Amino acid sequence: MTTPDAGALNAPPSTAVYAEVARLERRLKRETSARLQAESVAERGLRDLYQRQQQIGLLEAIAVAANEAIQAEDAMRQALIAICRFTQWPMGHVWLVTGGEHIEPWLRSSRLWHTGPIERHEAFCVATGTVQFQLGEGLPGRIWSSGKPVWITDVTTDPNFMRTSQAVAAGFKAAFGFPVLVGNEVVAVLEFFSEEMLPPDDNLLSVMGQIGTQLGRVVERQRARDQLMHDALHDSLTKMANRALFLDRLRNVMARTARDKDYAFAVLFLDLDRFKTVNDSLGHAAGDQLIVGVANRLVECLRDTDLVTRQDGTAGQAEYEENLVARLGGDEFTILLDNISDVSDPIRVAERIKEALAAPFFIQGQQVYSSASIGIALSTTGYQDVQDILRDADVAMYRAKSIGPARWELFDQAMRERAVARLKLEVDLHRAVEQQEFKLVYQPVVSLSDGVVRGFEALVRWQHPTRGIVSPAEFIPLAEEVGLIGALGAWVLNTACTQAALWQTSYPRGEPLTMSVNVSANQLTQGDLVAQVADVLLRTGLIPSTLKLELTESVVMGDAERARGIFMALKGLDVQLSLDDFGTGYSSLSQLRRLPLDTLKVDRSFVSAMDSDDEKRQITQIIVSLAQLLGMTVVAEGAETLGEVLALKAMGCEFVQGYYYYRPLDTADAEGLLRLPQSGV
Amino acid sequence: MKGIIFNLLSESVIQEFGENTWDDLLDAAGLDGSYTSLGSYDDAEIFKLVGVASEKLMLPPDEVLRWFGRTAMPLLQKRYPGFFATHDNTRSFALTLNDIIHPEVRKLYPGAITPVFDFDNSNPEELVMGYQSARKLCALAEGFLAGAAEHYGERLDFQQPCCMNRGDDKCVFNLKFAKLMK
Repeated sequence: MTTPDAGALNAPPSTAVYAEVARLERRLKRETSARLQAESVAERGLRDLYQRQQQIGLLEAIAVAANEAIQAEDAMRQALIAICRFTQWPMGHVWLVTGGEHIEPWLRSSRLWHTGPIERHEAFCVATGTVQFQLGEGLPGRIWSSGKPVWITDVTTDPNFMRTSQAVAAGFKAAFGFPVLVGNEVVAVLEFFSEEMLPPDDNLLSVMGQIGTQLGRVVERQRARDQLMHDALHDSLTKMANRALFLDRLRNVMARTARDKDYAFAVLFLDLDRFKTVNDSLGHAAGDQLIVGVANRLVECLRDTDLVTRQDGTAGQAEYEENLVARLGGDEFTILLDNISDVSDPIRVAERIKEALAAPFFIQGQQVYSSASIGIALSTTGYQDVQDILRDADVAMYRAKSIGPARWELFDQAMRERAVARLKLEVDLHRAVEQQEFKLVYQPVVSLSDGVVRGFEALVRWQHPTRGIVSPAEFIPLAEEVGLIGALGAWVLNTACTQAALWQTSYPRGEPLTMSVNVSANQLTQGDLVAQVADVLLRTGLIPSTLKLELTESVVMGDAERARGIFMALKGLDVQLSLDDFGTGYSSLSQLRRLPLDTLKVDRSFVSAMDSDDEKRQITQIIVSLAQLLGMTVVAEGAETLGEVLALKAMGCEFVQGYYYYRPLDTADAEGLLRLPQSGV
Repeated sequence: MKGIIFNLLSESVIQEFGENTWDDLLDAAGLDGSYTSLGSYDDAEIFKLVGVASEKLMLPPDEVLRWFGRTAMPLLQKRYPGFFATHDNTRSFALTLNDIIHPEVRKLYPGAITPVFDFDNSNPEELVMGYQSARKLCALAEGFLAGAAEHYGERLDFQQPCCMNRGDDKCVFNLKFAKLMK
């Protein structure tokens, strides 16, 4: 025990020692406090990091859902799940802003929920499904009006929550919601509920705001896609369904006919009568207006629910809504009548359309009248292909149009056969022109005064390889329609002139033989008739004044001014001009006087049975007198009996054609006739 | 075991018995005692500390745990007032253990293994609460509940018909709360 320290241990602690202990205690406290602060800072950091990671996970989940979603609804459903998982809140729900151009918008439940298996929450869902909120009303209404997320610490004490009693029953306390924004437009609101009373979490709301923007992009994308889909399936002018949509719906209902034997539908095919006239006279803008006007009336016609409803009581509103009006293009519309009870349904619709279109349209300050030809085809015919039923409705429409304007026709089998036959004839006709299946026959024109043959009318015949001789009445209109008449007409003119020139040389007579050749409307209007005739005369050496070009009254009078110009040019070539079928059209007498015509041909309908029909005889007499007055010769067609011939002679008619004297002759028989001495028959 | 539990224990002991007692406990347990809330430590250390405390205080270990839980609750409340502020009674607070408090604990301390509670909330008079944990620290849970009840000014009637320490699959607490007159 020699060290001073040992002595100090036994001594009471000095003041210095107390001071040292106090200092060490302060140091320890400082260190402890620093540790606690450091822990606190680190804990805050860890918590923030954790939150941040969770938020990133949430935003990633939302981004994936948004990218994968076809429908905005899918993305919102995924968002509900992800947000509930993230917040550990038991319930989420989506409100939709519904309404339209003329309907006041409201917030209505989308019926999209995310809920746990908690029974007491169910009543809250049910109650929410039955209410709707205006701007500013309740949690969703407040979000809607502000366009920003909203937090409510305790919905049971919030003065503007609205669903308070239901929330109390469900045990909800805190709630928040955020808007789904497209630009500045709130299109939906997502809301979430907790059973805890929780203070606002601004960080969370900021993340929710980002999610709202993400979901908004999905809505925007869906809108753009819906618009594209809509545009692809709708007519831009009338906004109604187009051909693609119509065919698609037709496929659906056709599939149903296979499943349901009692089910039937009808297709109406509409084509406006004289639409081209409106377009040509008033312009395309007026034509478009008329189309829109007609479209609106058609829609109105179908909206009338009494038109098409099944009487068996099974069909509800949904069935009725399958009716569809579409614009196929141009002035063609189609209507699908779904679930018809019998044929009277489409007929009633067709009649109603007739009525609806009867009232004039007011377009560019003018009254415009329109009507439609309607063809109807029924699914009961048993179709496999939508194109078939559409085609048959089209065929029926053509049939209606051919009978007269503002008519409807129901498709039947005979109609299809006619249509098929016509199509086949068209194909054959093209071949006939190439293969030269045509031939000419010659009907003698006889002078009534002496019974001498003065010339011939060249008539075309088609020697069909399987059908035999086809009547010109059948193939000439078709040839005009399909654009073959030009080639056919040129061939006829050329062949007839060649033959006439040959006969004029082989069988010379005091007054050279004439040759009458029919000229169609197309030949007259499409340009080069004068040049063609000049060329033929030059090539064949036919005496120009012996060529008689025959044009029907209706063709000439359709555009008399134009005809007059061409006629004058033809007269310049010294050919003769005849007005065919005279009496069947509507000639203007002043025009008749101004046209350089040489001959009037009395139509066979007046000549036939004129000896026993006073009215026919009188008309014929008037025509003969008129011709004499205008310095024209008269040729009567279709003289078949002695009585008719005598009557015509008595009237002063100069020439006749007809079976009484000769049927049309082929070349050999005509030559046989020409070899006979030129005396009366 | 998360460091926060050691911190709470140390604070509780120091608060009630002074720093020397804490040092003595550490010495007796042969532990160096540097614990931070950010760290994780061997479960055995807490059991050693409870063991030596039991000897020193002459209390059964479960009593030590109950005391610790009850004493630690106000300390917890001071550190994390947010968990308590949104409730006005113990029952409501207890019901958030699984859904709010433990998730929050895991946010602070990634990897924390928290006990799993289950609740039968159907009887407004009595809350039936199941406790499952490999550590079988039901006594600590009881202490925490008692501390929470004190915080909310309630008397806790605690019954434990089942206990993992007695061989049951899980511990079951029957809890009744009554507001104390202020």
